[in-house]
Formats: sequence, C-alpha cells, structure tokens
Amino acid sequence: MAAKGTSLRQYALTRLALVIPMVFILLTLVFLLMRVAPGDPISSALGGRVPKEEVDKIKADLGFDRPIYVQYGDYLADIARGDFGTAITDRREVRDIIKENGAATLELTFFAMIVAIVVGVTFGLLAGRFRDTWIDGSGRMFGIIIYATPVFFLGLMAQLFFGSYLGWLPTSDRASPIVDATLDTHTNIYTIDTLINRDWDAFVDVSKHLILPAVTLGLVTAGVYIRLVRVNVIRTMKDDYIEAARARGIDERSVVYNHAFRNALVPVITVVGLTIALLLSGAVLTETTFNWPGIGHTLILYLQNRDYTAVQGIIVVFALVVVLASLIIDFVNAYIDPRIRY
Amino acid sequence: MASVALLVVVVAGASVGQSALRSSDQSGVLIAGTTDTVTNLDPAGAYDYGSFIAAVGVYQQLMGFPNGAKLQPVLATKCFAVRSNKTWRCNLRRGVTFHDGSAFDSADVKHTFDRVIKINDPSGISSLLGNLKSTKTNGKYAVTFNLKSAQSTWPLILGTSAGFIVPSTYPAGKLQANDQAQIGTGPYELTKYTPGQQAVYEPFDDYWGAQAKNDGVIARYYAKSSTMKLALERGEIDMAFQTFTPTELASLRKAKGLKVYAGNGAVIRYLVLNVERAPTNNIAVRQALAYAFPRQAVATRVYRGDVVPLYSMPPAGLPGHIDAFASRYGRTPNLAKAKATLRAAGLSTPLPIELWWTPTHYGDASADEYAEIKRGLEKNGVFKVTLKSTEWAQYSDALGRQYNAFQLGWFPDYPDVENYVVPFYRSDTFAANGYNSKKMDNLIKASLAAKTEAKRLAIYRQIQRLAAADVPIIPYWQQKMLAAGRSNVRGIPTTLDASFIMRYWKISKS
Repeated sequence: MAAKGTSLRQYALTRLALVIPMVFILLTLVFLLMRVAPGDPISSALGGRVPKEEVDKIKADLGFDRPIYVQYGDYLADIARGDFGTAITDRREVRDIIKENGAATLELTFFAMIVAIVVGVTFGLLAGRFRDTWIDGSGRMFGIIIYATPVFFLGLMAQLFFGSYLGWLPTSDRASPIVDATLDTHTNIYTIDTLINRDWDAFVDVSKHLILPAVTLGLVTAGVYIRLVRVNVIRTMKDDYIEAARARGIDERSVVYNHAFRNALVPVITVVGLTIALLLSGAVLTETTFNWPGIGHTLILYLQNRDYTAVQGIIVVFALVVVLASLIIDFVNAYIDPRIRY
Repeated sequence: MASVALLVVVVAGASVGQSALRSSDQSGVLIAGTTDTVTNLDPAGAYDYGSFIAAVGVYQQLMGFPNGAKLQPVLATKCFAVRSNKTWRCNLRRGVTFHDGSAFDSADVKHTFDRVIKINDPSGISSLLGNLKSTKTNGKYAVTFNLKSAQSTWPLILGTSAGFIVPSTYPAGKLQANDQAQIGTGPYELTKYTPGQQAVYEPFDDYWGAQAKNDGVIARYYAKSSTMKLALERGEIDMAFQTFTPTELASLRKAKGLKVYAGNGAVIRYLVLNVERAPTNNIAVRQALAYAFPRQAVATRVYRGDVVPLYSMPPAGLPGHIDAFASRYGRTPNLAKAKATLRAAGLSTPLPIELWWTPTHYGDASADEYAEIKRGLEKNGVFKVTLKSTEWAQYSDALGRQYNAFQLGWFPDYPDVENYVVPFYRSDTFAANGYNSKKMDNLIKASLAAKTEAKRLAIYRQIQRLAAADVPIIPYWQQKMLAAGRSNVRGIPTTLDASFIMRYWKISKS
C-alpha cells in the first residue's frame, strides 16, 4: 500500500513537472505563430486610411519594430508576472476579457456538456443494450450524422426551425436586450446571476437564450459519446461477471442497469475530460453562429484584427484549461488504475 | 477626490438608468442592431465608424451634422476664419451642461483638442488634427484655433470624432476606459456598455436641445448579418443599420412588417492603380481600364441597385461633384475604345492584369463584385484578368507595396468633396500607389487656401478632371445609406443622408 502511495505521488509530481515545458512550448508557439502570420494590428486598423509612414510610426511607438527576441522576452516576463496585457484594438485588459467573456463560454460549455452526456450516454446505452436492433441502428446513425455535421450548420438549422419557423426560441445572444440592460451581474454567468437576483422572468429569458446554442454544441459532442458508450456496453455485456450474475439468477434488468451500465460508463469519464478541448473549439463556431459573446466569439474578432496581445492571452487560457483538464484526468486514471505509472 | 466623484457619477448614472429601464413602460425604448464593432468610446482613442456611431449621441462637437449633410453649429454658435484660413475662431453656446452636471465652456474645448494631440492614440485619430498648432481660449465662451497652414475645411474637421468635446475632468494624458463613465453633452447618457454585446443609452434630462424622440436606445452588436436579420424578422430588435448583404436586403424587402429605407450614402468603392508597377504604370492601361469598367453590371447584378455607379471620387450629391469619368470615358463601358487605347500604346490584347480584392472587410459581396468586374473587363478580349484575394490583415499591410491594382473603400471623416479628394490624390496618399503630380499638389494646396466656397469648389472640379485624365484610381460605386426597421418604427428616413450618421434620437417607436 505504501509502495503504491509513493509511486502515485511520484507519478503526480512528474506529471506536474511536465506541465511547465508544455506551457512554455505553447507560449512560444502562440507568440511565433502570431508574428509569422502576415499583417499586424495597426495596419489592420489603419490600412487603407492613413499613410504608410504614419502607420509605421505608430507601430514603432508600440514597440513592434523591436527585434522579435526582445518582444518575446517581454512577453514571457509579463506572463510570468501573471500579466496577460491589454488588447491593442479596444484597450480591454485581457484578464477582463477572460473573466467576462470566459464566463459566457463557461456557461455555454457547461450546459452543452450536460446535453452531450444526457443524449450521448442515453443513446449509447440503448444502442449497446439492444444491439443489432432498429434502436441500435438508429442510435448509431444518429451518432454518426450528428458528429459529422458542422456545428455552424446545425446551429443555423436550429435557428431557422426553432427560432424563425416555429418562433419558440430566441435565435441569438445571451438575453433579451432589456434583460441584458437591466441585469445586475455578479458572476457574469447569467443563469446564476438571475437566480442570485431572484429575477425569475430574467432567469426564464436567459435560459431560453441558452437552449439553442447549448443543445447545438452538446449534440455535436454527444456523437462521440454515443459510439463510445455503445462499444463499452457491448463489451461489458460479454464479461464473465455479467454471465456470473445471470447464472446467480439476478433478474436481467438488474444485471443490465446495476452491473453492465455502471461499468461501461467508467471509460467515458476519461473521454469527458478530453472532450473539453473539442467543446472549446466547437464553442468558437457556436458562439459566432448564435452571437454568444463568449471567449471564442471574441477570439475571432481579435484574430481578424491581428490583435497580438488579446489573441495570445486568450489562446494561452484555452490551452491552460485543456492542460489542466488532461492533468486531472491523468490523476484520476492513475488513481483508479495502478498500472499507469512512469 | 476626482476619482471618487467620478465613481459616484458612474454608480448614480448606472443605477438611475437601470431603474428607469426597469420601471418605465419599455415600449418606447428603441432596440437597434448593427454589425459594427466598437474599439474605444473615448473619442481620443477611436478612429473607426462603429465607435463614432456609438459615441455620436453621447458627445457633441462645436460644428456637426445634427440635421443632415450640411455642416451646422452645435456647441458653437458660430465658427469663422480670422483674416486667413490659418486662424479660426468659434463662439460657444451658453447654458450647456455635461452629463455629470458641470457647465460647458472654452476650457473644455481647449482640453479636448490638447488631449487628442497629447494622447496621440494608435487609432490614428490625432492625424485629423495634424494641422492644429494650438488652441487658445478667449474668455469663457470663445476659442481660437491656430493652424500650421491655411485650411478652408477646418470647420469640417471640428465636426469629426476628433472634435467630440469632453469635460476638463477627463484625464489629459490617457483614455477614459470603456468601463468608465462617458461624459458628454449629447442627448443620451451611456448607462451601460458591455463590449461586443450592447450599449444602453438613456435620454439626458438636462439636454440643452430637443429631447430624444424615444425613451432610450439599446444598440445590439452582431458578429454576423444573418443573425441580425433573424433577430429583426423575429422582432427581437426594432431596426438594424449596417450592414446586410444584398441578398439579405432583398429578402427583408419582401418580409411582412418590415421596411428597408434608403437615403443618400457616403460610402464609396474604388480600384487603386499603382502608377509605378507594370502594367498600370502605363497610362494607356489605366485609361483602357477606365473605358471598360463595368459599373452598371456591378450595381445592378451584384448589389441589386443598393449602390449606384460612381464617376468621380466625391459621391454624387455633394457640392463640387462632377461626373469626371463619365465625361471622359462614357457612362457605360466602351470596349472598342479600351481596345483601341491599348493598341495605340503598342500593347496586344487581351492584356493580362492582376486585380486584388479582400473577401470580408468590405462585405461578403466583394467576391461577386470582383467576379463581375473580371467578366466585364474580359469582354471582347480587352483584358485577361487574374483575380487574387487575401484577408484584410495581410491585405492592408501589403496593398501599396505588392499589388498593382487593388480594391479599397472609403467612408468619409466628414461629408465634403475635400475628404474624397485630398487624401487620395496628394503625393503622400495613403493608397501608396505612387501617384505624384505637381499639378495636382498645387491644386490641392490652392483648394485648402481658397477663401470663398465658390473658388474652393471650382478647384475641386479641376482636380476631378485631372484625376480622370491621370487615372490613378477608378471610382466605381457609391452606396446608399440603408437601414431596415419594423413597421412601428418612425423617423428612420430623417437620418439617412450623406453625413452617414445614425441619429437614433430622431427615431421613435409607436
């Protein structure tokens, strides 16, 4: 037992130490890619409007003409101090962007994850349990189609059908204009803020606004779960302990629900962590489609303007979230499975 | 102490605004959509259209366009040249208060102009005041502007966003952040601003002029026009201004309960020709392009009539405009003359030429626009066009240096013929196309020193004729100012004019 504890601690420490070079490489890549890509924030803002000499002068004033290694050194020093900088285009502090727009993304991805798990696990379990029946066929077909559908296309169809044609749900934004204008924000997560304010009408309004984007993003991610859960259920149903349970006379319903399904879901926990990256990339497109003012939507705007500081800050945060999620999943896996060690 | 006072104002402003929105009947609040983006609300840090429109109801200038495309005194009662166009004096309006309750006077004006120059923001807004040497107060209600060189258009400069007057309490050397109170003298107070989402404006009770015709405005910002269109159709917003695609506009025109309004526009599109790079360094090539350019086809087939052919850089409707290109090359493409011009210069046809354009910066219709231009220029084998495109970030950096013929667009700093001529034809033009004409430079200099309007406009007509002969740029369309609204929205047409200002305070909801 003591040996296992030491080994797990070593694994955790090694894994943690690896985060440092991983983040360093990431910071360097983001910095270099932004500089290698043609264009810059000042030309983007003033090109086709102000003489080139003036544009160059402004670039020099901002230090963009300094050697790239000097800029890189400053960048790393700022990050080390926890200073993500200020966006060049609209002077927003990057930490404010992360705090305000990040909250919108967090809200969207959280509910999308719930949709993904509920739909993905339900369809996967049913498909696996009723293998080779029409339920299995439909579930697999649904999983493949939904996974292959581009999220912006699915979003557009949802907007047109549920918003425009049926008129049931709002097609864009986090809340109606008046609600948005009068909402007192505490966390920038609107569902929580409206609950804190005990404003039930506003809560209904923001919940309605959340449905289409969260379901769209969640469904696309659910495609991954459906196939995974199905395969696990089929494999588990063939395991010896299931046969043993049946042999002991336990009724089939109990065998399936209490033994097979529970064990089939264990690998899904790992995948849930890994799909955070998928969700975040999907959120960029979902947010743009639904005018959801999340961090992905904001990233696109800053990218178009080549706003180095803002893009670097946002991508680093994205990456840190994924790194953190992977780290947690690795720890959980290592804890569950003693074979996982360095 | 000042910061505490400011905080009180912010908090008070925000809470008053929010309670008014919560308690009153909200049916009078106008909800407007736009695809524009806002960079900075502080006028000293913004030189883009989205920020200008976001600020125009909050801040006011000495001179401006409150009622149309004609320049009028706003916070000034009169602005006039003293002796020469190098010195300008403005008498100020009395009894005007800022949103924080402080009185407006000459110290605020001096502070405003000194501040824009001192901050020298990377947005480039201070370039509009490049000719300003100093600003002096003459008592409490008059100011004098001393310029570096004569400038007949100085009152128009006062009407740009560089001239939005801020109170003396604004920091002299840095910007007022977007999350701080924006204090102006305009008909609206900005009570809440969420970047990329919306701006909330409420009527300013102590406004010196006529009160706004609505109970406030909520401006919603959209990343995609298709999303904004859906919101308008569903009634989530009352009106939308800037910018729908031609297809969306056609669809909105057919939609029940909606109306699309069009007024005189100020936005133009043009093709810049580099006079130093082959083949456009040959004047015959530039003139042949001018003969063959398919303006009508672009206007009707691509934009379905939402733009009109343009035959000179200043749009039709502005005093001083002449159809210089139409007079010289005809109103419709003349392919025979284009071919003859090339052959007379010893060039064989079809002449290969590269045209550059950018896909999103000037709207999604740019792809169709350049496909149509290619089709037009290739008719009868005059040119062999190769279209090339790249995203704006790269395009804007490379345009003068790497491209010999490229698409650009312009919306004016102020609606005057000068703003469509001088930046484009002077030898240090931002278009960086190498055009350098002593004759043109002399005409421009003379226009800026002209003492009468008639003389000034006469010079601009000469400039347009010379530009049509030299063809460093081919102007090809001017856009109508377009807005779409639900049927219960009144007054939209009153703000659609060549000043290109959306005056929300003139619009009401029934």
